[in-house]
Amino acid sequence: MCLALPMRITAIDGQLATIVAEGLEQRASVVLVPDAQIGDYVLVHAGYAISVIDEAEADETYALLAELAEAAAWEDSRDRRHETGGTFDRDGSQEDA
Amino acid sequence: MTRPADAVPPGALKRLAADLAAEASAALFRRGSSALTFMEVCGTHTMAIARFGLRDLLPPEVRLVSGPGCPVCVTAMGDLDKVIALARLPEVTLTTFGDLVRVPASHSSLAAERAAGADVRVVYSPRDAIEIAAGEPARQAVFAGIGFETTAPTVAAALLEAQARGLSNFSVLSMHKTMPPPLKALLELGETDIGGFVLPGHVSVVTGSACYEFLAREYGVGGVIAGFEAHDVLQALLALARQTRPAIEIGYGRAVRPEGNRVAQRLMAQVFEPCDADWRGLGVIPGSGLRLRDEYAAFDAERRFDVEAGQPLEPRGCRCGEVLRGVLDPAECALFGARCTPEDPVGACMVSSEGACAARYRFRGIDD
Amino acid sequence: MTEAGKRGDAAGPGAAGATPGGRILLGHGSGGKLYRDLVRDVFVKAFANPLLERLDDAVALTPSGRIAFTTDSHVVQPLTFPGGDIGRLAVAGTVNDLATAAARPLALAAAFIIEEGFAVDELEAICASMAATAEEAGVPIVTGDTKVVERGACDGVYVTTTGVGEIVVGHELGAQTVCDGDAVILSGGIGDHAVAVLAARGDFHFSADVRSDCAPLWSLVEAAVDAARDVGEEESLHFLRDPTRGGLTTVLAELAEEAKLGIEVEEAAIPVSPAVRSVCDLLGYDPLTLANEGKMVLVVAPETAEALVAALRVQPLGRDAAQVGVVTSAHPGRVALRTVYGTRRVLDMPVGELLPRIC
Repeated sequence: MCLALPMRITAIDGQLATIVAEGLEQRASVVLVPDAQIGDYVLVHAGYAISVIDEAEADETYALLAELAEAAAWEDSRDRRHETGGTFDRDGSQEDA
Repeated sequence: MTRPADAVPPGALKRLAADLAAEASAALFRRGSSALTFMEVCGTHTMAIARFGLRDLLPPEVRLVSGPGCPVCVTAMGDLDKVIALARLPEVTLTTFGDLVRVPASHSSLAAERAAGADVRVVYSPRDAIEIAAGEPARQAVFAGIGFETTAPTVAAALLEAQARGLSNFSVLSMHKTMPPPLKALLELGETDIGGFVLPGHVSVVTGSACYEFLAREYGVGGVIAGFEAHDVLQALLALARQTRPAIEIGYGRAVRPEGNRVAQRLMAQVFEPCDADWRGLGVIPGSGLRLRDEYAAFDAERRFDVEAGQPLEPRGCRCGEVLRGVLDPAECALFGARCTPEDPVGACMVSSEGACAARYRFRGIDD
Repeated sequence: MTEAGKRGDAAGPGAAGATPGGRILLGHGSGGKLYRDLVRDVFVKAFANPLLERLDDAVALTPSGRIAFTTDSHVVQPLTFPGGDIGRLAVAGTVNDLATAAARPLALAAAFIIEEGFAVDELEAICASMAATAEEAGVPIVTGDTKVVERGACDGVYVTTTGVGEIVVGHELGAQTVCDGDAVILSGGIGDHAVAVLAARGDFHFSADVRSDCAPLWSLVEAAVDAARDVGEEESLHFLRDPTRGGLTTVLAELAEEAKLGIEVEEAAIPVSPAVRSVCDLLGYDPLTLANEGKMVLVVAPETAEALVAALRVQPLGRDAAQVGVVTSAHPGRVALRTVYGTRRVLDMPVGELLPRIC
């Protein structure tokens, strides 16, 4: 528990907000997140927004993941070079060490 | 903001897994144990782990166990029987989340009752149940309230809306439960050597992190609050393995604040009060349930309807309880995959799509 | 009865035939003049072809060679949804079943069970849709039947279509022809129909940028057959099935079981539109188990896979065609999904009705 989807608020009408995700539009209650504003991303569970997403934190998370991926890619190519003795790539083509 | 899954480069996961393997070895050495057992206590985590095939990425030193985090699975048979009894009342329109429809109660299920003529309607939101009540004043709309602290505030808000709109035909059967108490109960049982908890991300959105501090302080068990993407789970396991002292960390900072959602907490406290609750597999845990306060008795299905549910019947050979406590691997249950399958489930752990058995079944050895 | 069904004004007793704006009466199903008028004014008018206009009880056809034969009933609610209606579904569904046998549709029959009080103009709209879809598929609707049942005895209208088609290949298609190493091709994005219908039903109050993919697929299959012939490998087409109820997962699980072979599927290769993905994330559905009404799964010999995918992509209905998996001798009877993260899990057939989750 529990399924919740990040969605963006495009309109607020009293306690109901219009929220969108890619290709999807819905209405959800914002009674649990009274400070939510148009443009905010909120987590939506069972028709209610339960949290405003901290975009700075989200950006940091994804930046970290990108770094990890880069590190992983670098290590992969380093391992390949070690494996193949430093000159040839797996398919036999020559690679600059 | 991009969709999380699109934003996660596959290489990142491999790297996280490699880091986890390294940290796990170091942690085992530090702790002097042969395996690290981490427990997740959220049905949505169980589901995510199965869906992403995360067990493939775990090093052999890390054992990931499912705990009592599936609200459907931990609902006592007696409560399920009450839901069935209510659905059978001719004036009742039983509104429910989809999760409950196929769960086997002692003698029936909501799906079976619907086939037999009961008015059972699946809703996505408790607000939809309110609209049904408003649109059909001659019917009694009863909402089957399951879920933990993520869901209880939404039910509280819906109930207050029903009150504000003067609806006299709406009521809730509260089977809601709260999360920290079963963790304490599990640790008190001491059946498994839990090295750390992967804590429920969305429950924590509401509760915040302080309510888990006792795990570290009194039991020496750490916890990391985790989100539901593959990288969230791996990062939480990594953080747990890295802990040199037990601590509670928020690994899902983009959604969870240390203080939680105060508005949601207030609404929950306004409408509900703690009570003892019967957890399948764990028995009665004091103060772990939520019941409607006396001021809202008019909306309490328990008090409005006189339902006699009879003696609950646990299916023979069903070991859901042990699975829920994390002491039995689903594959070790004699019924698993034989008499008990997703098509023909015996216990809740198999019928609920995020029950440990259903998740384990889907993930059974493709390489066997 | 549907809202639309209630729209028509009641035709008075003794009114001749089906008046525009009128309602279907029990008498329309009784075989007498009212019935004949309905058939002429609605069905024959919409389906317009010489065979049908004879209004014989049985139609003589002269197929060349082996024929394929199939039937399908349609009970969708709501009757109309973005991208189609029950009429389009009924025609496309049967044409597509014939297509799985590599059969060019030759003729269709259409049987209607109509609820008393159903609006005639809505029936006309459904028939117009059927006619248009049949024309797309190049097949006439040559015979049919109508029954009317009392108000409440059915949900608006049920349509059953039956079709015969001429098989254009010489070899047997089916699970028994599938071999280790075969390529699994999907003709396009999945989940659109199920989500469009779900949105139109309004139970969960959302709107999505999705239309049903409902379409007759004979042109697509014909293109695949031609492409295989062009490279001298007509028999490289081994298996065809359209992933309707139960989705892609059901087609593959059944195939694996019948063929006693394993199937490996690449999650990253399966096209899913962003809107379908969002709805699935919101409600807890798995796009691989959702119904499609305009997609085809083709299992083909590996040598022709590339040529076939290219041929499909040129077709309007196959723009997103892709190879999504491979048949294997490992784990016979089971389907394994390789996730976008490179991990693997079993794909099981969905059990029972599609239910949304909050957990």
